Amino acid sequence: MSGRKKSLLKVIILGDSSVGKTSLMNQYVNKRFSNQYKATIGADFCTKEVVVNDRVVTMQIWDTAGQERFQSLGVAFYRGADCCVLVYDVTAPNSFKNLDSWRDEFLIQASPRDPDHFPFVVLGNKVDLDNRQVSTRRAQQWCQSKNDIPYYETSAKEGINVEMAFQVIAKNALELEAEAEVINDFPDQITLGSQNNRPGNPDNCQC
Amino acid sequence: MYPWSSSSYGGQIPSAANVRTMPNGLDDQEKLLAEAIGLARKQAFQMNHFLDKERMLDSLKCASTMLGELRTSVLSPKSYYELYMAVTNELCHLELYLSEKIDKKTDLYELVQYSHTIVPRLYLLITVGIVYIKNDPTLKRSILKDLVEMCRGVQHPLRGLFLRNYLLQCTRNILPDVMVEENEHEGNVYDAIDFVLTNFAEMNKLWVRMQHQGHSSEKTRREKEREELKILVGTNLVRLSQLESATLEIYQRLILPGILEQVVSCRDAIAQEYLMECIIQVFPDEFHLKTLDPFLKSCAQLETGVNVKNIIISLIERLAAYNQRSGKTSGNAIDAIIPAEVELFEVFSVQVANIVQTRMDMPLEDTISLQVALLSLAQKVYPDRVDYVDKVLGTTAQILQRMNMNNISHLLSVNQELSRLLRICIDFYNNALTIIQLQNFCPLLEKFDYTSRKSLALYLVMNILDNETLVPTADQADSLLTIITPLIKDDDTNKENGAAAGNTTPDAEEFAEEQGVVARFIHLMRSDEPDMQYKMLQTARKHLGNGGGQRLKHVLPPLVFAAYQLAFKYKAIAEQDENWDKKCQKIVQYCHSTISALAKADLADLALRLYLQGALVIGEIGYTNHETVAYEFMTQAFSLYEDEISDSKAQLAAITLIMSTFEQMSCFGEENAEPLRTNCALAASKLLKKPDQCRGVVACAALFWSGKQNGEEMRDEKRTLDCLKKGARIASQCLDTGVQVQLYVELLNHYLFYFERGNSLITVAMLNQLIAKVNEELPNLEPSEETKQIESHYKNTLAHIRSRMESNDSSLEVSFAGITLN
Repeated sequence: MSGRKKSLLKVIILGDSSVGKTSLMNQYVNKRFSNQYKATIGADFCTKEVVVNDRVVTMQIWDTAGQERFQSLGVAFYRGADCCVLVYDVTAPNSFKNLDSWRDEFLIQASPRDPDHFPFVVLGNKVDLDNRQVSTRRAQQWCQSKNDIPYYETSAKEGINVEMAFQVIAKNALELEAEAEVINDFPDQITLGSQNNRPGNPDNCQC
Repeated sequence: MYPWSSSSYGGQIPSAANVRTMPNGLDDQEKLLAEAIGLARKQAFQMNHFLDKERMLDSLKCASTMLGELRTSVLSPKSYYELYMAVTNELCHLELYLSEKIDKKTDLYELVQYSHTIVPRLYLLITVGIVYIKNDPTLKRSILKDLVEMCRGVQHPLRGLFLRNYLLQCTRNILPDVMVEENEHEGNVYDAIDFVLTNFAEMNKLWVRMQHQGHSSEKTRREKEREELKILVGTNLVRLSQLESATLEIYQRLILPGILEQVVSCRDAIAQEYLMECIIQVFPDEFHLKTLDPFLKSCAQLETGVNVKNIIISLIERLAAYNQRSGKTSGNAIDAIIPAEVELFEVFSVQVANIVQTRMDMPLEDTISLQVALLSLAQKVYPDRVDYVDKVLGTTAQILQRMNMNNISHLLSVNQELSRLLRICIDFYNNALTIIQLQNFCPLLEKFDYTSRKSLALYLVMNILDNETLVPTADQADSLLTIITPLIKDDDTNKENGAAAGNTTPDAEEFAEEQGVVARFIHLMRSDEPDMQYKMLQTARKHLGNGGGQRLKHVLPPLVFAAYQLAFKYKAIAEQDENWDKKCQKIVQYCHSTISALAKADLADLALRLYLQGALVIGEIGYTNHETVAYEFMTQAFSLYEDEISDSKAQLAAITLIMSTFEQMSCFGEENAEPLRTNCALAASKLLKKPDQCRGVVACAALFWSGKQNGEEMRDEKRTLDCLKKGARIASQCLDTGVQVQLYVELLNHYLFYFERGNSLITVAMLNQLIAKVNEELPNLEPSEETKQIESHYKNTLAHIRSRMESNDSSLEVSFAGITLN
């Protein structure tokens, strides 16, 4: 079969409020940073074309709300993700501690086919600041204990390691996508006339 | 006829059978959702299949059918969201394909408008429109205008909200974000603002309309669904905040007024409360600082059901956090980041007052919560401005005054909020000396009932102790003691309440602990300057003197000891202060009157001890007339002994203490010493019980041996021995053999004590006589714990004698030869 290959990669960015999720996405997609703090409400995505292994793919990067009260519709958008980015703030130990919860929450809600090998990437952000409180070693140890999650220390403000991190994210997402394509080549059985079996619903308007 | 209308693509008209209402069960929702997503996936698969085959019309047909699933009326918002996510995810593939295959020969934008139902039609229109704009930016302005208007076609709240959310999502990166466009058809930031504000207004109307649809019995469920959908509306504000070309000036002139107009005019409490919170959260702090007035004025115009308190508190907390965060980032934690021209505290202060005045319905505890938030702002942004904190306290007191709120019960929630206000002050400064600078702290404290005032007083004193805050001046001590009055004396209302409740005695242990805290506080009233220290002691005495006997016994002793220490300090600086002598006299008078108060409060034992301690101090300091005053203190102790102490155990302890004190003193001339000595001996011999008599008389021996006579130890061998002999005689009169033997052993030790120190009248024969008596009686004692102790004591005594006999210590003046040990 010489079918058209899917070239859309879905990436979710998770982490505590104000660790820099939106700033990282802005730095990567738009090469911009703002010191102004604006909370993210709901889920929002940007797209960016990237070249991975000599192949052009479109990354759909989902930025999320770090505060639960700003996620009132749930996390249906986790479904179908190709890679998950966990972000913490190196000056905020609590945001590092909460990575466990974010990872668990993602695996529960997204229900990937192979949870043990789903690609995560951890970013320790704000390394430009002086008052660092989470050591590199400690973060690396945590990542190693979770199936060797790749770890990068970034600064959305100064653009440190951002490009590199997202290249790895795209690469890992693409690898997962490549595996998924094999399975997708066997479509569900098409049942002709299935609509006739569907219960009618006069509540549906005709518009 | 367009190919789109071909009958081979027409959908089946749903059957009229199987009427359903909105299912509430979670299982029903899951089933319906799974069914809808399954159908959508089938169509999506076919769509992608046709895209692979380059059959665009067929793929659009499938896309339209897939989108038809979004026409459902049976899904809850969360379920609909999942379906929406699944469907729009597939539309991304369509968009990608169309972007690559865009062909001007094919008028897709018009073609998709022939979809026969509006929901699929508009989703496709948005998708294709975005593709067109990306391909040709000069179409941006007109297509955006067209799309935002077209979406009016869906007025069903749930469907309309998600459709417009899709529009917002798709236009995220293509809204014009420049001040001056290169091509007028591409639009500028004003077009973007207009686009989003229009979309926002429409979404808010859809959202508010939900409140009024359906039966009133379903109001709770509707409100829950509205809560779930709120982020869709809020996303419009996010979009506005993402426009980088939107300057502060544009925000002030266009964006905020546009939002607030919609918020105030929609007259829906749920929407208003949420959207105000969104404004606070999604726009930068720099913008908030410049738009406080219009924002806060709008708060006064919100519906009665809106919790305005939460909105304002949220804004205050955000700005306070901004100040701290910016200060930290710049590396200079001291300088405030808030621009000097923005009088943040003043603005909030005035506006909060307006809101409180305008919104008569606001509960009192909410009003107090606002004051707490103002206080927090003052502390975080203006940590040095104590006057701001004081102003908040003053405003709060006025509010309570206007409402005639007095004696606020500790059971009311407003009391808890008020207590929190005062505790925050205490915690923030961790310095009671700053607290007393707050003019309004006390007036506000007066509003509480006794229980609360006592609780707060205890809280303050604990803070003083935890921080070891030294109180260096009398005025400061006065202020603090005024604040903690509830700990120092009972309130009239407290007595009435106590009587009414039938509870006249608080928990004794708790009370003692509480008074202990006050006592410890007294030791922190400490000045480097002795004169000021004395003033403080006088001030404290005035406050602490009326608390009743139960309190005096805890709080007056620390004053007395502090005064004694002060007297020593004056003695130490005698050469620098020519008046030290008179000052010591005054201090001693102070102590005398304070101890008298304890005596009058039936605390004789305590008073007696303090008098004795005073005598020691006075004797040591040696100021003018010190002998006379020391004699007075001893006399007072004796009087208490004779008049107030009746328990025999207490009597023995007291007389022993008196004798011990006197034995230590060397300031008495013989004309004063002799009466004291005589009285001690007399008192001892008058003790009621024989064993007590014996011990008392024997203890008296020390007065004639190491007690002072004209400054030197008396070493009166005869009178010392007389005491011992009298003791022995008294012991022989005890009928209880066990007690008698015990006394003999004790006597033996006393005899040995003076024998070793060279009392030549004590002979070996006397020692042998005592030993013989013990040896004679000890075997006859009944076995018991007391007997064991006596035997042990005796054994140790004999061991001591034996070690002396065997010793070659040449420094020993007396010989132990001849002592018979058996």
